[in-house]
Amino acid sequence: MIRFESISKTWPDGTRALSNISLDVPKGQFCVILGPSGAGKSTLLRAVNGLTQPTQGSVAIDGTVLTPATERALRKRVAMIHQHFNLTNRMSVAGNVLAGLLPVVSTVRALLGWFKPEHRAKACRLLGHVGLSPEHLQRRAGDLSGGQQQRVGVARAFMNDPEVVLADEPVASLDPKISRDILALIRDAAKERNATVLCSLHQVDLAREFADRLVGMRDGRVVFDGIPAEFTDARVEALYHGVRWEDAPKADKQPGMPALEVAIA
Amino acid sequence: MDSKPIPLPAPGTRLDWRLDPPYSARHLAWLLLVLAIILVTGHRVEMDRMAMMSAQAVGNLIGISDDSQVVRGLSRVGQSMWPPVIGDQEEVARLPELDRNKLPLFSHIEVQQRTEQRLNPQTLQLEQETETIEVLVKPVGYLWTVAVKMVETLEIALWGTVISVLLSIPLAYYAARNYSPNRYTYTFTRGVISLLRSAPELIVALFLVLAYGFGPIAGVLALGLHAAGFLGKFYAEDIENADKKPQEALEAIGAGKLKTLWYGVMPQVAPQYIAYTLYILDRNVRMATVIGLVGAGGIGQELKGRFDMFQYGHVATILLAIFLAVFLLDQFSARLRARLM
Repeated sequence: MIRFESISKTWPDGTRALSNISLDVPKGQFCVILGPSGAGKSTLLRAVNGLTQPTQGSVAIDGTVLTPATERALRKRVAMIHQHFNLTNRMSVAGNVLAGLLPVVSTVRALLGWFKPEHRAKACRLLGHVGLSPEHLQRRAGDLSGGQQQRVGVARAFMNDPEVVLADEPVASLDPKISRDILALIRDAAKERNATVLCSLHQVDLAREFADRLVGMRDGRVVFDGIPAEFTDARVEALYHGVRWEDAPKADKQPGMPALEVAIA
Repeated sequence: MDSKPIPLPAPGTRLDWRLDPPYSARHLAWLLLVLAIILVTGHRVEMDRMAMMSAQAVGNLIGISDDSQVVRGLSRVGQSMWPPVIGDQEEVARLPELDRNKLPLFSHIEVQQRTEQRLNPQTLQLEQETETIEVLVKPVGYLWTVAVKMVETLEIALWGTVISVLLSIPLAYYAARNYSPNRYTYTFTRGVISLLRSAPELIVALFLVLAYGFGPIAGVLALGLHAAGFLGKFYAEDIENADKKPQEALEAIGAGKLKTLWYGVMPQVAPQYIAYTLYILDRNVRMATVIGLVGAGGIGQELKGRFDMFQYGHVATILLAIFLAVFLLDQFSARLRARLM
């Protein structure tokens, strides 16, 4: 479903985020990417929908290679869930969820905010699925708690029936209980639609619990690729503390990567 | 998750850090330079004389100084402007249309004796001549005239604002670096905005009066064009500075620029946009009173007429009306903002 063909990414400042990664994620798989901050997890995810352009190699979804010409069409099939939820804070919850349909809604309808009845019904249904109630519909997204905001983010992601869901540390700023709930929502919704999930995580226990497949990344390389059972404590240790402190990346050099990761790592 | 404590610094790590004090000799030099500029330019625009005359005026008011040019000037103006003219009267003889049974509201007819000095052509003497005339006295007549003119002014301001908002929407889109289609549209639009902002309303109104003739059209267009530059610039900068996160989320699913702008940016910047627009409305009301001076309609035309005829009592009424209008508008916009945000 998602095929990375020996992709590399070097930032303009010379930092190497990805080195020659080849990966094939089959349809319907829940694939979790683990690794210390700065390992290139986000960059790999963002290469799928073209938010980051790889310097070498290519990414293909279902055989269609991502190019500037195919980008718009491919993006419509790929949803994304963000670490900081990336909701429009001053817009209503309903508006945020319906925004997930923007790629397929006509401009006039979008500007008027006049969505078709079946679309509105779908938004309500999805919000119900992620555990919100009708009184949340007209609340401003920014007024909700972090967990509720991410529920809205999940509902938005599944609005357009995506074939691929990219989850970029979807639970990094949430407590363990809510983290588990959110990941379960993502997994169940994806399995129901046979959607492929590529999810980066920092919590090893959650990764083991939810992943069909685990990919360990470090310094822009894939150092582990297997089922959760094979990902032993020794391998966790190796992934996160495998080299001397001085050799480990000291700071997060990727733009847009939140400082919170550094604190967790 | 297991974690290790932060280890001791590796050998060779520099630990001789230094935090400099926030001020240095360079800051002192800058301070002296700024001071010098203040002193030189202050003298050139007579700020020293202003301070002296103002001090003298204060001294005169509290009784230490005998004379003050400022106090004399202000009191002369004050005397000529007080009391503000409220009423109005017209000779009945000049009102052929007047129906004595249906007088205008609040008005009545009075008989007045008017004494005039006339030069008798035969005797070449000045003679007192008294005649009895009927006048229509309207106790609040002038107030009504001013109110009508004020409403016209507010209408000019409102339409100037409407036009500026309509013009500034495309300007803002093309002048926002992250939404403009390319560098040329961006530079061109920024140029247009600078041009609009650099042309003062009064001068623009002067030219538009030549083009459209006397009256409100020139006023509305002058206000609209200038404010469109202002709003275009500020709207565009808000778009540029808006939170990138929701925009990225919509960009990632291929929503397209216009829809991303509408759903990812507009809700975030709406309060600021309302604030800017209300400021422009407020500014337009104040400017609409002034552009009448060049014949572009509104209360300014009345003000200039009365000023040129030395009727300072009327001028006082007009100025009070303007103050009242601006004050009420302030209250209104404060309430509106509180409700909308």
